[in-house]
Amino acid sequence: MARIVVDPITRIEGHLRIEAVVEGGKITDAFSSGTMVRGIEKILRGRDPRDAWAFTERVCGVCTTVHALASVRAVEDAIKISVPKNAELVRNIMFCAQYVHDHVVHFYHLHALDWVDVVSALSADPQATSDLAKSLSNYSKTSVGYFSDLQKRLKSFVDSGQLGIFANGYWGHSAFKLPKEVNLLAVAHYLEALEWQKEIVKIHAIFGGKNPHPNYLVGGVPCSFNLEEVNAINTEKLNLVGKIIKDAMNFVEQVYLPDLLAIAGFYKDWAAIGGGLPNYLAYGDLPTKGYGFPDGFKLQRGAILNRDLSKVYEVNGADENEIKEYVAHSWYKYEAGDTAGLHPWKGETEFNFTGPQPPFENLNTDGKYSWLKTPRWKENPMEVGPLARMLVSYAKGSQEVKEVVDEALKKLDVPVTALFSTLGRTAARGLETKLAARWLKEFYDELIGNLKAGDTNTFTRDKWEPTSWPAECEGVGLTEAPRGALAHWIRIKDRKIDNYQLVVPSTWNASPRDPAGKRSAYEESLIGTPVAKEEEPLEIIRTIHSFDPCLACAVHLYDPDGNHIRRITVS
Amino acid sequence: MKKKIPSIEQSMQAKGYSRRDFLYFCGVAAAAAGLSTTSLGQVVKAFETKPRPPVVWLHFQECTCCSESFIRSTHPIVADIIFDTLSLDYTETLMAPAGHQAEKSRDDTIKNNQGKYILLVEGSVPLGNPGFCMIGGKSAEQILKDAAAGAAAVVAWGSCASHGCVQSAKPNPTQATPIHKIIGKPVINVPGCPPIAEVMTAIVTHVLLFGKIPELDSQGRPKEFYSRRVHDTCYRRPYYDAGLFVESWDDDAARKGYCLYKMGCRGPVTYNACAVTKWNGNLSYPIQSGHGCIGCSEAGFWDNGPFYQHLGAFPGFGIESTADKVGTVATVATVGGIALHAITSNIRKQKLIRENMEESVTVHPFKGEGGADVEAAEAAKPEETKGGDE
Amino acid sequence: MAANPQTIPYRRIYVWELPVRLYHWINALCILLLCISGYLIGNPQKIFAANEAYQQYWFGWVRFTHFAVAYVFVFNFIFRIYWGFVGNRYAKWDRFILYRWDQWKELWDTVLVDVLQARVYGRKIIGHNNLAGFSYFVLFHIFLLQTITGFALYSSMSDAFLPRLFTWIVPLLGGDAWVRQWHHLFMWFFIVFTVIHLYLVFYHDYFEGRGTTSSIIGGWKFERDDNIKR
Repeated sequence: MARIVVDPITRIEGHLRIEAVVEGGKITDAFSSGTMVRGIEKILRGRDPRDAWAFTERVCGVCTTVHALASVRAVEDAIKISVPKNAELVRNIMFCAQYVHDHVVHFYHLHALDWVDVVSALSADPQATSDLAKSLSNYSKTSVGYFSDLQKRLKSFVDSGQLGIFANGYWGHSAFKLPKEVNLLAVAHYLEALEWQKEIVKIHAIFGGKNPHPNYLVGGVPCSFNLEEVNAINTEKLNLVGKIIKDAMNFVEQVYLPDLLAIAGFYKDWAAIGGGLPNYLAYGDLPTKGYGFPDGFKLQRGAILNRDLSKVYEVNGADENEIKEYVAHSWYKYEAGDTAGLHPWKGETEFNFTGPQPPFENLNTDGKYSWLKTPRWKENPMEVGPLARMLVSYAKGSQEVKEVVDEALKKLDVPVTALFSTLGRTAARGLETKLAARWLKEFYDELIGNLKAGDTNTFTRDKWEPTSWPAECEGVGLTEAPRGALAHWIRIKDRKIDNYQLVVPSTWNASPRDPAGKRSAYEESLIGTPVAKEEEPLEIIRTIHSFDPCLACAVHLYDPDGNHIRRITVS
Repeated sequence: MKKKIPSIEQSMQAKGYSRRDFLYFCGVAAAAAGLSTTSLGQVVKAFETKPRPPVVWLHFQECTCCSESFIRSTHPIVADIIFDTLSLDYTETLMAPAGHQAEKSRDDTIKNNQGKYILLVEGSVPLGNPGFCMIGGKSAEQILKDAAAGAAAVVAWGSCASHGCVQSAKPNPTQATPIHKIIGKPVINVPGCPPIAEVMTAIVTHVLLFGKIPELDSQGRPKEFYSRRVHDTCYRRPYYDAGLFVESWDDDAARKGYCLYKMGCRGPVTYNACAVTKWNGNLSYPIQSGHGCIGCSEAGFWDNGPFYQHLGAFPGFGIESTADKVGTVATVATVGGIALHAITSNIRKQKLIRENMEESVTVHPFKGEGGADVEAAEAAKPEETKGGDE
Repeated sequence: MAANPQTIPYRRIYVWELPVRLYHWINALCILLLCISGYLIGNPQKIFAANEAYQQYWFGWVRFTHFAVAYVFVFNFIFRIYWGFVGNRYAKWDRFILYRWDQWKELWDTVLVDVLQARVYGRKIIGHNNLAGFSYFVLFHIFLLQTITGFALYSSMSDAFLPRLFTWIVPLLGGDAWVRQWHHLFMWFFIVFTVIHLYLVFYHDYFEGRGTTSSIIGGWKFERDDNIKR
């Protein structure tokens, strides 16, 4: 038996640590720990609720915008305003742009190196790679010269002896299964995606002024449309948005999805690994009839228990009996005792660090061992993320979702149950990206139509002044970050923030166990994962990365006596 | 294993570029960096003789927006930086290895390149408790100090590393601290939440091209990008001077792109390159898209809110109190106090008033003969003035 | 009113020299203009909103007025400091800096008589009483702070020598936002001061009748002969 510690887990956002117990080449138990805290909930108290979006947006720079959206919605819910149609459309466009960007960057830059052996690409045949690329899609860059130039560049890079971000990777690991040519293709698209990703976020720059961290506004969006003015969003800017959307659809359909399916084809064994929790939760988003009408959402709201797709449960963020947070294993304390569960409106954020003083080797996982609280939906641990969203929408009968999911399953020749896995999670993200790119176009067309009809309004003015608010009110803003269900709860008293609580996707997925000892998604998904070499935790990061974690971490390997296993040098 | 590391010229030759191409490349690089052609020789030398400098990019209390911004750079693009310009040996956001292998990348670079590597830091360091940020079982403070000791140059990316940013806003629960307060060597502060992508790559390139850190102001910020106020370089400035202001979101003035001063824009108090370099490939910046600047590159900007008020809240008087509101209250109170004082004085000093009255004399019309009347009139003169006051 | 047969001899005293009077009125005008323009800069009013930017520059003129008048204010202030060394005894610096115990005692007397109204009669002092002197001493510091914060705000828009001297103030106070905050607050000190100042002019003339108001125009005050120490 060995205890493997991976800290920092890289290619994620934030600081995450995984400790896993390995027995007979398989993981039998796992512990997930968030090792950084900032206390933003404490900082928000006493501030102007209209400013909260800017503070909470800084929770995450990778899934930038989503916290801002959740925050303005929470305030709008509390003071009871709805936003104009154009504002809803601009928010939806920014939302979809974020999804397309984030999912592509996750696949190529955060996740691909778990599946793609960069070193093996050096010996690929450019001709064969070109043939392969042509067989997969109509993307323009498929010539032999393109691939041989890239290979040369890669070679001289490796020959320089300075491997930079690729140094000490797990190259040559037995879990890498791709043919050389697929590896070369993937490396080429790693670089293409790196260049392309800076284009899609320009949509945020147009409507929100910059990316990362574009601007939001309680009551609408801060940009104005004026088709008779160069100093506002006009035809030229809208044309740019249109062009970026067209390019994005092309990139997703001609590069990302073909790559995803090609790579997935070689890793079908991972359709049986990493399934983890059987419960899925999605708040849904992309309103088409206003935020108050979840039935009109493109991404549906609901919960699935025990992988039973025939029944989708209602979810209500305002119901104080549904969502509760626990701190039994988290470095916080509750006034009512650490086994209590609190609805976020009544939430408390009081630090109570009981962990070992660094430097340390192991966390005491019997006690508190993470900075994440443990959220539960009706006491159930839930997985959130693209897979949960696709499953909920699929189970609720969304035609668009059903179509793309069924098509992919058919192409890969796997049953629906294959979705409950590491591979399923990664595939669901790709399918969702395809939908998000299409919806981008749909919302864009609708926005143009609205402007054409003469409606240029982007802001609801009547509740802007705090004097028009009730003395006390509370609201909840539900949304879906690329990584899963996200919600902000706010209590406003005397026009100031009285309490503010966030339950973010990685809190659902990466949290420590609850007072009853039930594991959350990361921990559960690692159970049964094979580990070929204990020193190289490739399989662990594969499954963890399939969730697209939003913290930051590291991995250490320990033998049963708690000693560091000899460090492995990769030439 | 000690292989000779090729210079940038050598790697370009290996990729099939000629010396002429190389000189052209240097010219473009120099032009991009805003150099005159006379300094071209220096750039050529910098690229000819140096291998890709090793770089360690540390992450502490941050949101990764600086890393995300960095990869948005349009000139140079980040693939070229990773492959041709820098040897980015450690960055948790992009590196292939995790855990031990990741730490090995960091530790090897530090050990083998003492005094020669560049240290880039994203995020603040919590001094409240080492447990607030731990990586690989080590505290952020320890990792930073170890990495900073042998660094040739230290860059603080973003407002977190430069000023502490959002986590250091009141009450700063984790005692988030900017790195220049922790390490005892000069730090290039590149504030912003995040900084502009091209500013980030330009600063790294500056160090590489000129072999020295860029000229810094008193706050450690490169003058190249932080010497001008957003307001003074803003294209909406003429509207400010003309007194044309947005009065409410999406009003007619907003649709005409008037100045956002009255909506709380922090452009007048914020030093950054946003209005000139702009964001995401020179496309836009917050004001251009209709929202005021929130001042994200200024120290302590989170506590200068509320953002939609022209003046920040005055400490100790609640969030809606500006200096002007405090002043107005003080003035009203003063006027009230004076009224009270005037009434009290008239009551308390009635005796004095009566005595003054009694001192007064009646002045008779001048009769042209001189004598007592004139004297009396002269003596009474000041009392007349007093009488007039009543 | 019956005529009082008794004759009270009064003397005319030249208190405020011409430079002091000029300083006072220039200063008053500057403060008035600075407060009005400063307030407008902080709270611009909506006028001419239908015009194009190239047709008008009113806000620019307001700011120009503020900056130009600020220079007059500062040099006028510097002149007054100089005059504190060469002027007559009522203008001298030791009227404002209370360095002797009896000055503080007299200040307390003034508080008792004029502020708290605990006593009806008090000593009469020609020129500034010590409470007034002390108030002006505080005011001069506010002048100084206002000058410093003003030039600090101005420094980044100017290459001129004088404003550039104040660049270091900005980081010291925690950024431009805070300099602006203080600059606004000090403006309110001027306004409060002016209100009190005007009231006290009336108050003193009303109760003492010594020509307080006219003295700052003509320079003369009047005092009962028996009150004057020879």
